[in-house]
Amino acid sequence: MSVSMTVNGRERTAVVEPRKTLADFLRQDCALTGTHLGCEHGVCGACTVLVDGQAVRSCLVFAVQGEGHEVTTVEGLTGPDGALTPVQEAFRAEHGLQCGFCTPGFVVSATALLAENPRPTDDEIREGLSGNLCRCTGYQGIVNAVRRACGRADANYSGSMEVPA
Amino acid sequence: MTAVADSPGAAAPSLAGAAGRWMGQSVPRKEDPRLLAGRGRYLDDIVVPGMLHAAFVRSDVARGRIVRVDTEAATALPGVRAVFTAADLNPLVHETWWSMAGKDAVYAPNFCLAEGDVRFVGDPVAIVLADSRYVAEDGVDLVELEVEADDPVLDVDAARSEGATLVHPELASNVASAIPKADVPGLQETFDSAATVVSETFVQHRYLPVPMETRGLLAQWDPFTEELDLWAATQSAHELRAFFSRLLGIPESRVRVRTPDVGGGFGQKVFALRDEWAVVLASKLLGTPVKFVEDRRENLIAASSARDDRMSMDVAVDPDGKFLAFRAELVENVGAYPFAGSGSAAALVGMCLPGPYTVPAIGFSGDAVFTNTTGRAPYRGPFLMETVVPEQIVDVVARRIGMDPLELRRRNVIQSSQLPYQLPTGLVYTGVTPAETLEQAAELIDYEGFRARQAAARADGRYLGIGISLCVEPSAIAFGALSTEGAVLKMEGTGTFNLVLGSSSTGMSVETTMRQVAAEYLGCHIDQITVTQGDTATTPYGAGTQGSRSAVLYGNVTREVSLEVRDKILRIAAHMLEASPDDLDIADGQVAVKGVPQAAVTFEQVATMAYQGTAMLPPDLRAGVEAVTRFTAPMMTFVNACHICTVEVDPDTGQVQMLRYVVSEDCGQMINPKVVEGQVAGGVVQGIGGVLYESFVYDEVGNPLTGSFVDYLLPTAAEVPDIEYGHVESGTSNALNVKGVGEGGAVASPPAVFNAVADALAPLGVELRGTPLGPRQILDALAAAGH
Amino acid sequence: MKAAPFGYSAPRSLDEAIEILGQFDDDAKVLAGGQSLVPVLAMRLSRFEQLVDLQHVPDLVGVTRSNGTVRIAAMTTHTAVGRSAEAAAVPLLTKATPFIGHEAIRNRGTLGGAIAHADPAAEWPAVALALGARLEATGPDGTRIIPAAEFFLGTWTTALESTEVLVAAHFPVWDGACGFAVEEAARRHGDFAMAGVVCAVQLDGDRVARAALAFLGVDGTPVRAASAEAAVTGVATGDVDAAEISALAVEGLQPPDDLHASGAQRQRMSRVLAQRAITNAIEEATRA
Repeated sequence: MSVSMTVNGRERTAVVEPRKTLADFLRQDCALTGTHLGCEHGVCGACTVLVDGQAVRSCLVFAVQGEGHEVTTVEGLTGPDGALTPVQEAFRAEHGLQCGFCTPGFVVSATALLAENPRPTDDEIREGLSGNLCRCTGYQGIVNAVRRACGRADANYSGSMEVPA
Repeated sequence: MTAVADSPGAAAPSLAGAAGRWMGQSVPRKEDPRLLAGRGRYLDDIVVPGMLHAAFVRSDVARGRIVRVDTEAATALPGVRAVFTAADLNPLVHETWWSMAGKDAVYAPNFCLAEGDVRFVGDPVAIVLADSRYVAEDGVDLVELEVEADDPVLDVDAARSEGATLVHPELASNVASAIPKADVPGLQETFDSAATVVSETFVQHRYLPVPMETRGLLAQWDPFTEELDLWAATQSAHELRAFFSRLLGIPESRVRVRTPDVGGGFGQKVFALRDEWAVVLASKLLGTPVKFVEDRRENLIAASSARDDRMSMDVAVDPDGKFLAFRAELVENVGAYPFAGSGSAAALVGMCLPGPYTVPAIGFSGDAVFTNTTGRAPYRGPFLMETVVPEQIVDVVARRIGMDPLELRRRNVIQSSQLPYQLPTGLVYTGVTPAETLEQAAELIDYEGFRARQAAARADGRYLGIGISLCVEPSAIAFGALSTEGAVLKMEGTGTFNLVLGSSSTGMSVETTMRQVAAEYLGCHIDQITVTQGDTATTPYGAGTQGSRSAVLYGNVTREVSLEVRDKILRIAAHMLEASPDDLDIADGQVAVKGVPQAAVTFEQVATMAYQGTAMLPPDLRAGVEAVTRFTAPMMTFVNACHICTVEVDPDTGQVQMLRYVVSEDCGQMINPKVVEGQVAGGVVQGIGGVLYESFVYDEVGNPLTGSFVDYLLPTAAEVPDIEYGHVESGTSNALNVKGVGEGGAVASPPAVFNAVADALAPLGVELRGTPLGPRQILDALAAAGH
Repeated sequence: MKAAPFGYSAPRSLDEAIEILGQFDDDAKVLAGGQSLVPVLAMRLSRFEQLVDLQHVPDLVGVTRSNGTVRIAAMTTHTAVGRSAEAAAVPLLTKATPFIGHEAIRNRGTLGGAIAHADPAAEWPAVALALGARLEATGPDGTRIIPAAEFFLGTWTTALESTEVLVAAHFPVWDGACGFAVEEAARRHGDFAMAGVVCAVQLDGDRVARAALAFLGVDGTPVRAASAEAAVTGVATGDVDAAEISALAVEGLQPPDDLHASGAQRQRMSRVLAQRAITNAIEEATRA
């Protein structure tokens, strides 16, 4: 069936089987391969995109369900000049990525998290990121990146936070 | 610390202990902007016209005879191009051995697809080629596979016993390889006469590498040129090239392997597994491109296994707590089709068993055993039992003799004054610092302070624990195909540089770190250097990115090739400036006469002279600025670290909360500290995951019970603490003064976590003898101790 | 891991949805948030001929409060429930929300979907059972109200007919000095609980006027601890022996064995969690 939705501000239309996931529609029909498939059963978060501004696992949505909605992928976060967003800059500064495969999902999730809660506590950061899996970084650079992105003046981001016993 | 100037002309940077312009700096990564913007190109992102997609019919029985495979309905499904079985593909297989293991290693039978019988759940029986993965999976559902199930061989002891059913009837036994128990003179006497002997057996359960990107490859066999063009999510493009040329029986020159961005490997992506062979063979048969990207279920069940070891160890101790002897017996469950030979790491475990301690006598033996389960592939520190079991038994010894585990380690750790130190196994440590890291880690975690807090918490009915793991492990193991790496460094026509390496980085930041090394030794900005890797057509032969070898191998070869190029630049600049090379300085991409800054030429000007103004070069100065060289590493570069962590255990629910985690590590000079810490952190969290959350489980007939992320649990950001780092920098035996750091985090962490949990529960009389330590296991252990 | 083919309808009215369900009977499945259904389809554990997407059916989203009841329309997402000021009048709803998976799951998953799916370890069914919620279902023969106590029949099995659509859940509001608690023991943050408990207490003066206690993850359906509720009712808060009440609450529980915990271990966890929940709920009620 035909499906039409706005992706990164642009109307995209394709003919798809109902079973085609939103993730595959984005990757294949829209050639937006920044959204990745890490598990295809809704656990790893690598496929996270924004649907109508909310973080969503695109492997758990069928493209046909996206009819008429607004989808933002990682490619749609950067400005028209391609400049990295503050969240992306923070990831870069804190080495919040290594292989980069989980990164788009984290960037989208962190962007949504901070849009909702601009000054999260450490617990809120960790809980807010607990729906995304990373295998390379041990989450250290990622948590530091989110701390940095929300301008935490109290944090010494580079691996030496004061922690209680 | 040796100075590194070994080329004529102006002194190359001497980096004794201090960070340079680029070396030792946490520069942001070159890889990041495109990866952050979603512009990475991973295997599944690659699309070529006419490509088919593969899916596999896999056995859901662990052992049995294939009665029938009917592919008719599948083949007839619209969108399915072909379905192949063993009859189609296996006859096309020529040879299947790996450069790293050698032709004469004992390999499991090299059936590409299961032929006549199946030997583990997940065993590939048929490959379906279709227009999309969706349709390929529909095709898989339509293949009728009938298997007469038989009792599988699942237990390593049963497998080794007399008259055991053979996993591979083609082989003589289920023992894939063995290190026999040698008669070590005096060893038994040492045990017999020791003040204390502690003998325990520890189990390390099966857990998996789980890179976030699953395995994948895109095979393009060109029937006209009879060449294979392969894109592979691999850690070792050259190894794959050699392998597939052998598989197909064609010269290596007709195989090209390219590595796109790869989403992690951790050892699982070093070798191509049997289903990947089928993809290449299918492409050959059809003459069309074939792409295979395994799904997560396949990655967990059918790709590879890891860990799954059992080691019995005896420790003889004198009245002062000094270790007199270690003796160990290792049994490895390598599954049905282990990688590259037997999949055993026992030789390394045996050689490295004394670890950071002065142990006068060592005994070691081991068996690697086939079972009807998924075959073993390397996983970050495959030899980790050389740290896991000794560190866990050292704590048992401490408790047994009534000594604090920190004190016991202090009494036995090798001191710097004892270097170089030869182990009873023959290996020699030169620059390791276990004693220093032990002290630094103890201070970072405030060990004494914690013991006081722990006591207070116990009075309150809370169970806190602290665990130490002191580790010396071999990085950059350099024998055979792993012993060297090459580099090509070309100054381009406009004065920038192209550094060409045989690496296939899968997240190790090779592109960033090697630019740092090159820029430091060339004397220019890192932006002047591009790194080319992951293409066998253009890069020098090498073993790829694995085994913590990148810093030592790629780092040193980059240093050497940079010094050669630097030397050439100086000689050309000397000619241009009518000076002697000894009177020149290089900085920021400029060569200037010492003390006469206006007498300078830029690298761009040097390039112009080298490539265009060649008529003006003196007869003894060849045109161009380019060099190629190869670095041979020492057999092993020992690297060491001390991990200490604290936990709280809830005795009612069996849940463990990580409190603090400190790492004091010595990897020699750090090229990029944040990269180093990132590598350590990733390994640490894999160890936390391995002990507390991840467990690959089979039922009693060899069916996997943990085939998705719903059941195979990876730690998230909410389960791990901030990791705190201390760094020690010792000397090494290589000129760049670096050691490998990729695996250490994953090697040292499991016993640190284990020891912390054991320490927390010790007052309750709980004795832990293995992992996993999920709620079930902890509550079972508490129940066994009467709680 | 791609789903097998299916047909898809996105009806614009409840009647249309019910008609399609009637057409396909057991071969059709309602698609709500998809957070439970889609993984099952992707893994090909189940397949359906037709999915009926309810997202365009009007009046299936929203939280309203009237008199002593909070009505949550079935397609209201977990996130929306957690943020709703009206739903906050039933504090167990607000307190349970953070335990449901992760943010991205909560943004799509729906309260109605979760109740109709009836996973043994899900939070909403336990809350519904504990509070005696009423489930409103519409089918070809009209609308009916099913009390929570009659709704959950077994693992993933409810009293809903295959031709019925759950349209709303009605939760009673507890007035006065009340306290609420949700406790879970899960492997990781957001995982299905090995055992969990939801608890509500209402005080009259310094006595417990009524109590509600239900377990999740310990059986095929949520389990109400009626004897424990009775035992604590009428007792002065200072005299409540939470340890004793929780031991009573778990008597007779026969939780399942799995990789994470044995049945006995789950029972023990349930007791400890119940003790914590009762203590915390009473403490909150005392401060109210």
